[in-house]
Amino acid sequence: MKKKVGFKTLGCRLNQFETDALASRFVGLGYEVVEDSKDTDVFVVNTCTVTNQSDQKSRYVVNNALNSGHSGMLIITGCMANHHKEKLEQRYPNAYVVGNEQKSAIPQLVEAHFHKEIVPVNQNKGGVFSYAPAADTFHTRSMIKIQDGCDNYCTFCIIPKVRGRAVSRPVNEILKNIRLVIGFGYNEVVITGVNISRYKHEETNFSGLIKQIVDLDLDFRLRISSIEPDSFDDEFFELLKHPKITPHLHLCLQSASESVLLKMRRMYTYKLYKRTVDRLREIDPLFNVTTDIIVGFPEESESDFQQSIEAVKDLRFGHVHTFKYSKREDTRAARMTNIVSEKEKTRRSELLRQEARQAKLNYRQQFIGKQQQVLIDTIKDDYSKGYGEYYIPVKVNEKLAKNRLYNMQIVDIELNGEDPCLIAEVVAK
Amino acid sequence: MEKEVPVANKIKTDLHEILDIRHLTDSTFVIRIEKKDMEFEAGQHVCVGPPNGIHTREYSIYSAEQDDYIEILVKEVENGLVSPSLKKLQKGGFVIVEEPVGYFTINKNLPADQKYVFIASGTGISPFHSFVLSKPGLNYTLLHGVKYAEEAYEANAYDSGKYVLCTSQENKGDYNGRVTEYLKKNPFGKDVHYYLCGNCNMIHDVYDILEDQGVSTDNIHAEVYF
Repeated sequence: MKKKVGFKTLGCRLNQFETDALASRFVGLGYEVVEDSKDTDVFVVNTCTVTNQSDQKSRYVVNNALNSGHSGMLIITGCMANHHKEKLEQRYPNAYVVGNEQKSAIPQLVEAHFHKEIVPVNQNKGGVFSYAPAADTFHTRSMIKIQDGCDNYCTFCIIPKVRGRAVSRPVNEILKNIRLVIGFGYNEVVITGVNISRYKHEETNFSGLIKQIVDLDLDFRLRISSIEPDSFDDEFFELLKHPKITPHLHLCLQSASESVLLKMRRMYTYKLYKRTVDRLREIDPLFNVTTDIIVGFPEESESDFQQSIEAVKDLRFGHVHTFKYSKREDTRAARMTNIVSEKEKTRRSELLRQEARQAKLNYRQQFIGKQQQVLIDTIKDDYSKGYGEYYIPVKVNEKLAKNRLYNMQIVDIELNGEDPCLIAEVVAK
Repeated sequence: MEKEVPVANKIKTDLHEILDIRHLTDSTFVIRIEKKDMEFEAGQHVCVGPPNGIHTREYSIYSAEQDDYIEILVKEVENGLVSPSLKKLQKGGFVIVEEPVGYFTINKNLPADQKYVFIASGTGISPFHSFVLSKPGLNYTLLHGVKYAEEAYEANAYDSGKYVLCTSQENKGDYNGRVTEYLKKNPFGKDVHYYLCGNCNMIHDVYDILEDQGVSTDNIHAEVYF
């Protein structure tokens, strides 16, 4: 009987990529892979520590598995494992707490465990890029890790401490990885990393890498995930016109107040950010710009906050992920005074969410009457769902094939819920 | 066979011996430490802390790329966790140093005769000291905003006529007033690259002034000191 490995992933796309790669590796080793802890021999929690809430969610997943009777091997990995290693080892003495550097070696650790070999958790030689291309994953899109770590040192962010210094994966390995996953049958690849716009390997920068990717003589579409707006060059804007590149960027703003951006030590101004969005919309008036905004950063005044509200209206974001500022020890912002009360952060967060909800609806309504090429990732009894080029969810009331692209005519939009789907009809199968 | 890949990108930390300490004012001093194998680009910073503590703080490197030592310029912060401890250290002692990092560097693609204006407040002069010493022949003007003239830290390092001391609390500098006022009265033009280093308020105000003077944000580079 096959041994069963369960995964739960929290946080960013990079974690998702790493989980997918591990899951695929376990499938290759003959394990059954599932997305929960029920009846599993091994449960891997790939944690996040970017906010207090992330820590809480990560702990909840571990506790929930144990309270539900998980008695197999428990592995806690990801950024919380780096940030709170000792605390986790004390609290969960039977768990393996594996840092990001050794994460890629988890399959070897599990094999050793079941073969009764004694291998110290951190002895296995991992490596931040030692993930084989994933054939069997939890996702329809294949994520490709190009970079790890960050040297920006934003004052609120713990990630440089837990992911380490910026390092870039060699170009030839990335291209080989993409060729392999397209061969596995993926139609879309997603570029991931902690700070991908700072990609630099030998003489190749981010634009140079993207150019080489789109020049691959293969049929696929390329999605660039979360990206910092501080180092775009003209070549990058030109590349965004390439038909393989989808018209969507998750362009982290964090605040539209110049003074808050300075206190956050972000490496751009709001003016630069706005100009970047304008250039994107010159390329494609419907270009989907989604973003993260932090509310309640220390010293954020009502006027600063209102500038973020205005930005949500002005920049017509397709989606805004609103975060209440969360103090992370060992960061510069943790030492700042004039903190915003939790109550006020909650108020601002709710106001921003309301504005963002309206902006999202306004943005998505523009697609009614237009066509989209939708990659189906969910099949239910009475509908199928997927994402078009612009990364907007599209629903169609018929059963289609997963991981296939369909041309669809957008006919309507759901008006309820946080994530209103476009309603479509298939034009061509 | 699989190619060897980096195992980890951990932040490298090491103990460095203190070679010298120069006290420039009652509260400001330069710590010179052994370089070991530390390479950096002028404008980058290091995190430095006392050897027996868990806290470090970011300091822009003050010395030149080619020097065989590393220097940082430190101002003691009242009730601070790190700078008062650093001030108590002596030659022959040690500090913890993390490897250099940062993007506040001169763009190598700019022409050799590119004109730069460096604008600093207080110890924000540190990366500019490193720029000037690392890159002889740099075409620059350095505006240094301080309260009192004694804070013109080692101003003889800069070329004659290229250093403008702006003193806000006494009339002993080249200009009596804030660096922002000097900039308003003395625009340098749109083709110049401006590097700003110092407190948030100064940087915020300089951005506004330069914008009024028609300077593109592409030509403005900032490093905030807290």
